[in-house]
Amino acid sequence: MTEQHLPPGLIGARVRRKEDPRLLTGRAQFVDDVALPGMLEAAILRSPHAHARIVSVDVSAALELPGVFAVITGAEVAQACALPQPVIWRLIPDQRMTDLYALAHDKVRYVGQGVAAVAAADRYVAEDALGLIEVEYEQLPAACTLDEALADGAPLLYENWPDNVSCRQTVPKGDVATAFAAADVIVSETITYGRQMGTPLETRGAVVSWDPFTDRLEAWLSTQSPNLARDLLGEVLGLPVERIRVRTPDVGGGFGNKFDFYGEEVVAALLSKRSGRPVKIIEDRLESFVANAHSREQRIEVEVAAKSDGTITGMRGTVYGVLGGQLSTVGIGPCWAATVLMPGPYDIPNVEVTVVGVVTNRSPYGSYRGWGQPKANIAHERIVEKLARELGMAANDVRRKNLIAPDKFPYPSPVFYYDSGRYEECLEAAERAVVDRGWAKRQAEAAKEGRSLGIGYSFHIEISAIGPSRILNQAGLQHSGFDEESVRIDSTGGVIVRSGLSAMGQGIQTALAQVAAQTLGVPLDSVTVLTGDTETNPYTGYGTGGSRGAALGGGALLRASTRLREKVLRVAAELLEASPDDLVISDGRISVAGTGVGGRSVSMRDVGDATYRRLDGKLPLGETPTLEERDVLDPDNTAFSYGTTAVLAEVDRETGRVQVLDYLIAHDCGTVINPMIVDGQLHGGAAQAIGGALFEEIVYGPDGQPLTTTFMDYLIPTASELPAFETVHLTTTADHIPGGFKGMGEAGTIGGASAITAAIDDALRDLGVGVVQLPITPPRLLSMIEAAEAGGTATDVEEQS
Amino acid sequence: MTSLDVTMTVNGRTVTGRVEARRTLADFLRKDCAATGVHLGCEHGVCGACTVVLDGCTARSCCTLAVQADGAEVMTVEGLADGTDLHPLQEAFWARHGLQCGFCTPGILLTMRELLADNPDPSEEEIRESLSGNICRCTGYQFIVEAVKDAAAVLRASSADRG
Amino acid sequence: MKPAPLDYIRATSVAHAVQVLAENDGDGKVLAGGQSLVPLLAMRLSQPTVLVDLGGLGELSYIRDESGHVEIGAMVRARTVEISSLIADAVPLLPVALRHVGHVTIRNRGTVGGSTAHADPAAELPAVLRALDADVVVTGPSGSRTIGAADFFQGFLTTALAPDEIVTALRVPKSAPGTRVAVQEFARRHGDFAIVAVFAAVELGASGEIAAARIAVAGADQVPVRAAAAEELLAGQDPSPAVLRAAAAEVAGATRPFDDIHGTADYRKKITAVLARRCLEQALPTAERSSAA
Ligand SMILES: Cc1cc2nc3c(=O)[nH]c(=O)nc-3n(C[C@H](O)[C@H](O)[C@H](O)COP(=O)(O)OP(=O)(O)OC[C@H]3O[C@@H](n4cnc5c(N)ncnc54)[C@H](O)[C@@H]3O)c2cc1C
Ligand code: FES
Ligand code: FES
Repeated sequence: MTEQHLPPGLIGARVRRKEDPRLLTGRAQFVDDVALPGMLEAAILRSPHAHARIVSVDVSAALELPGVFAVITGAEVAQACALPQPVIWRLIPDQRMTDLYALAHDKVRYVGQGVAAVAAADRYVAEDALGLIEVEYEQLPAACTLDEALADGAPLLYENWPDNVSCRQTVPKGDVATAFAAADVIVSETITYGRQMGTPLETRGAVVSWDPFTDRLEAWLSTQSPNLARDLLGEVLGLPVERIRVRTPDVGGGFGNKFDFYGEEVVAALLSKRSGRPVKIIEDRLESFVANAHSREQRIEVEVAAKSDGTITGMRGTVYGVLGGQLSTVGIGPCWAATVLMPGPYDIPNVEVTVVGVVTNRSPYGSYRGWGQPKANIAHERIVEKLARELGMAANDVRRKNLIAPDKFPYPSPVFYYDSGRYEECLEAAERAVVDRGWAKRQAEAAKEGRSLGIGYSFHIEISAIGPSRILNQAGLQHSGFDEESVRIDSTGGVIVRSGLSAMGQGIQTALAQVAAQTLGVPLDSVTVLTGDTETNPYTGYGTGGSRGAALGGGALLRASTRLREKVLRVAAELLEASPDDLVISDGRISVAGTGVGGRSVSMRDVGDATYRRLDGKLPLGETPTLEERDVLDPDNTAFSYGTTAVLAEVDRETGRVQVLDYLIAHDCGTVINPMIVDGQLHGGAAQAIGGALFEEIVYGPDGQPLTTTFMDYLIPTASELPAFETVHLTTTADHIPGGFKGMGEAGTIGGASAITAAIDDALRDLGVGVVQLPITPPRLLSMIEAAEAGGTATDVEEQS
Repeated sequence: MTSLDVTMTVNGRTVTGRVEARRTLADFLRKDCAATGVHLGCEHGVCGACTVVLDGCTARSCCTLAVQADGAEVMTVEGLADGTDLHPLQEAFWARHGLQCGFCTPGILLTMRELLADNPDPSEEEIRESLSGNICRCTGYQFIVEAVKDAAAVLRASSADRG
Repeated sequence: MKPAPLDYIRATSVAHAVQVLAENDGDGKVLAGGQSLVPLLAMRLSQPTVLVDLGGLGELSYIRDESGHVEIGAMVRARTVEISSLIADAVPLLPVALRHVGHVTIRNRGTVGGSTAHADPAAELPAVLRALDADVVVTGPSGSRTIGAADFFQGFLTTALAPDEIVTALRVPKSAPGTRVAVQEFARRHGDFAIVAVFAAVELGASGEIAAARIAVAGADQVPVRAAAAEELLAGQDPSPAVLRAAAAEVAGATRPFDDIHGTADYRKKITAVLARRCLEQALPTAERSSAA
């Protein structure tokens, strides 16, 4: 393999994280740890009905309860806001928008939608007060599932719409009709992906203080996108943005759930304005299951045309996004991503995929790590597996036939240009690792004992470095995608990096410190990275999502640090009476190259002193004091990371239980800043993929009641359900990003379900089972096994829940 | 509704307070004792983020009322390090990247401390089983398991030193 | 998720606790380990006016070796029972079963009295009590009475306990020496409540035949199920695969499972047969393993 060499030094080193000592000792500050003088705690009254008209809301008894400071209703929120809750991804020009406010006032459209809120002395009292609010509802027939919402005569969520379809768009490339007409073989599949949620362990929360005299607003939000939140708070509340300061304390996991902008932030602000006190809203776990954006739920029809040698000539598909009762901040975004990325890593000349967004009486559909890509992936990987079966080929041979060849980059997919990759090498790296790990032998030995083991593969691509602002704007994003970073050396030679990205566990502070330290030639310990304050830190477009932090932040910081290094060298040259070109920096000392140990040198501290304090005779004439640079990176293109996932799994044919025994990811995300952090991200993403494939599902009853609102019912896998993970790395740099970084925060979530379903199929190959519904729970798999054993069609199982 | 006086030892210091009977131990520790390393991830006993050591054994502080802990000795993650010397588990989690967002970490550290006290040389499966009462949404657990193995070795070596 | 207002009384004796319950006329609730009750309070699914905490009652914290049975005080923690050598010798099924209850941290606090009184149909302890014909000792205003497990568990979270009675002890008959025990539990994740669990204690005769078997199932009805027909079928038989299979079918036949999001009634019945067979195979010497370690 022609693996490129990592640059030497701190970029690429497995260094311990700078974030950790605080987190390990209980000294971190999460949003619920923020306590301000006079602070109140709020709680939200939520709809018990899936669909109902609000007839009246009586808050008088609640207001009288001792300890209650303010109560607000949906009607009052609508009156107090300049705009309804924003939708920033407006990808489809004629999409019907839901335009609802932070609390409902005319109708409720899902169980859990907020209708009123209370701020009280503490959360206990606030919850007592909720019990005293009387809401009269007139229940309406609900459309709780995709089929119910699409049925003729379905109850309308929005009475001014002709049906429950919010949007429909077809994305074409080439000539699909001809490709299908000329095909040797056509295979099709319908896949049902269950409703799931990012579920960070720390629930969402906000502390907001609105000074009613000056209209200045200070907010502490557990958010991935502080600048976006600040701009949106300004828009919704009708406040100039310079009066709003958003701080992000430590964030206990985001996973997309904390990318979106929620009504709670607005409610906290309005309650603070009313009460004149800072107001804290912390969502509890029960609420999180109805008030957080849900994700993943789609029905996907996919069809490919192919030649008999396995070459895919055309792809057709439809993605039905099962949206909730209201559009979230990202609107149709993730469903659109599933649509336009459906051809995945394959060189398919003719493609036509349609997205249909359908509103239902369920919680809103928003961001979750992967953002549509796990569904695109399951569509292209399931159909490749099926095509392989149809043609009697090995699935990886079909993959090899169709993977985009290295010389075809940049490769034009229906919407995006893929920047670079060595896809086939990556697949082969995984295949070799699987041989090395002896899976085939384990499979054969288990078979002798009557056990069913299967091996499955998947190939994924991941859009990363989400950036190019103008292109994103053209696509319909109402926000930018650049990233700005600043770096400063102080008077004693210490380095401070300021970033607008959020630290939510992904190690961004360490990664940025590594980039700055290596570029400047200083020890890692001398670098401090500050995040989490819109007033003092640079602007980041979008937010900490789209696998963009390390790539864009790293790239911007690399450029800023490179310029700062040049200034350091100019100052040092003056001090050393040498030419800047002859100087080298190592470990915080600047010396004349080739003079060896004991040669002439100055420290970063000397340079700092010469630039900030004792300038005369030291700072070159014409240099301005201070050592600070900033840079904005708005890249020309996004980047595409990619990888192969391989899974060894065992199926218990008598119970339908699947145990993942071994798990391998071969991966390429360009230049790796810290392999330990990258591995951690891959592991965590893979764990979420396994959860999504086998365990996690938000289940609704026939009446639109959510049935999974605790951690007893929404099953996040524990250490006992998960395997050890092995990773293999390739490095193909992104040449349009300084440093060659690609970004990879979502990678692990994308290909996991596809590989697991392939492994299950393989374990049950004698039965011809083909999994098309996720998550594949034991009861679901058992009924497929039984149907197959009884000679029925294995994929045709009745929905049970 | 009754309020009651409670007295307990939290990380070696005696604290007294008057609490409503309904106040959970987690809220008492977090809000009244400034032990904000106690985290609330579910408030119904499943995630383990609120785990503390109560009279020598781990307990979910969200499933315990403050009044139940009257007279008890409580340790939270804030009491794990020895002065500014990190506990071997903390060191190992740091070295092995056993945490990402760190929200689950306090509960996991205290649970693993109990495991290693009961079983100084656990197998990988035993570590995973013992971890299974604590949800981590970030790490996929593997680096946690490796960190616990490392810490176990360090703790075994140091107890061997002490004879 | 914060409990509604309530009063709290720390009981100073069993009599005191009973008296407080009687005075509150059904609105009082006993607090033991709190591992089931406190989450219910936080969700406001349970809103008693007063909690009576048994936490300080040393008189309910004992394990006693009596002739023919062991007596376990209601406030003994599950973890204590699990690691007790007396229990391991006298009632080997109990520790094996309790290891499936939640996690160590839960078992550090949860009590045997609490688990019994809570009567979750998926809980392990009630099923074991049912398998072993244990007695539940309860105390009310008019004194103590003893209720057999068969009569104690009456429905979903419903027992024979009157509102002013508390569970004070469990009397669990000792198993014959050499009794082989096994538990097969199917839960979605480690430590979760069982979807179905099967518990077996089997005595062998001199020539390796099954002298007597005790089998119970959790998660397959509103109450723990005793598989009497299967036990009868097994008695006196050699443990051949065919016999075990037939017995497993009988175990499943004794259940009346329900639907929930984790599995339909039909699914539960099917896996009951599978788990019962595996459980018997595990318990009996023809299988490779001889105990459910
Ligand atoms: C994450 C988690 C996982 C769990 N997993 C399992 C599992 O797999 N299997 C399982 O069996 N259990 C499980 N449990 C429940 C646990 O075992 C509880 O400890 C047990 O069910 C109740 O015991 P407790 O002492 O905590 O009772 P409490 O919670 O204090 O009380 C429970 C109920 O019993 C009543 N009560 C308690 N003691 C008495 C008494 N002496 N007399 C009369 N009434 C009384 C209370 O009033 C209350 O209604 C789990 C709990 C959690 C939080
Ligand atoms: S917060 Fe206590 S267990 Fe989750
Ligand atoms: S590190 Fe985030 S939950 Fe464990």
